[in-house]
Amino acid sequence: MKVLELVGVYVFPVLIVAIPVYGWIKGVKVYEAFIRGAEEGLGMVFVTLPYLVAIFVALSCFRFSGAMSLLSRCLQAILTPLGVPSDVVPLMVTRPISGSGALAITAEIMKARGPDSPVGILASILQGSTDTTFYVTTLYLGSVGIKRSRHVLAACLTGDIAGFIAGYLVWRLMFR
Amino acid sequence: MNALWMGLLAIGVVVAFITGNAGAMVDSVLDGAAGAVALMIDLAGVYCLWMGMEKIADESGLVDALAKLLGPVLRPIFPSLKDCPRPLSAIAASIASNVLGLSSGTPLGLKAMKEMKNLMPPDADEPSDPMITLIVINAAGFCVFPSSIVAIRAALGSANPAMIAGPTAIAGIAATAAGLLVDKVLRGRYGK
Repeated sequence: MKVLELVGVYVFPVLIVAIPVYGWIKGVKVYEAFIRGAEEGLGMVFVTLPYLVAIFVALSCFRFSGAMSLLSRCLQAILTPLGVPSDVVPLMVTRPISGSGALAITAEIMKARGPDSPVGILASILQGSTDTTFYVTTLYLGSVGIKRSRHVLAACLTGDIAGFIAGYLVWRLMFR
Repeated sequence: MNALWMGLLAIGVVVAFITGNAGAMVDSVLDGAAGAVALMIDLAGVYCLWMGMEKIADESGLVDALAKLLGPVLRPIFPSLKDCPRPLSAIAASIASNVLGLSSGTPLGLKAMKEMKNLMPPDADEPSDPMITLIVINAAGFCVFPSSIVAIRAALGSANPAMIAGPTAIAGIAATAAGLLVDKVLRGRYGK
């Protein structure tokens, strides 16, 4: 695991030197090319803004009106008898909706129960098992100006649920 | 998207009125709108950095080399792109970045979306099959090392902060596989 951590730390500096040096050797005007690319990057950011505002507003409305905790409570009623600790149900509901929100819940669970407690471990696994589906979907479709989504959300949300189930099963086998 | 967006707003407002949360909800909705802009401003620098690097790599031939190297791996997942090196190399670079936990994953993913958009008619208003596949892979967010959680675990005094990496990876693979499976099943139904 230490090795992987180190790869993450060193790949970045190596890349930002190696790419321009290689380009320079190949005769690319590296500074000009960088600026043109950066302009393109800035364009991406601006194009996606309206889409992100739209989805953030709708998700905030859902989350802070109390509708999300209502959904959590319904799921708790179903999942707790099956052996899922009730603490992690709000985490599963938040995970696809808000990355920072889910991370805050995970941190809270670990603070209250300890990071190496069974519930703390399960929360860590669930947090890492998938990404923020609504954000990713909106960002990717918005960046190319596409407003219809076909079956994207159905596929991504099924993926989230499968990730939670797999994470839960691994946790049951290894840590309980 | 229309039904989902309306639904989230409508459910939120109705629940807020019933529970008396309306005041708090209004604040949070305004925060949400401002938060979206703040997030993208935060990310703008990172996007500019990596797109600048991508342009240099593209002009020096590195992008084509990457497509040649990783093409055989990606072609089975993106069959309709088999003769399209540009989106394939952006996808390859994006997935490699995500797996390594580099911040270049998302900007390169958006670059891949742009390249795939270039293959479609200009008035296309629905995502193509390979676009959906790429989004599914990214929404599952598989990474080898979940650094943000490990950092929090370490800060909270865990005896072994990285022990969740293995189980997390298994869950991530399950999420990716299930997403791709559902994509494959539903693809035909929603038409091109």
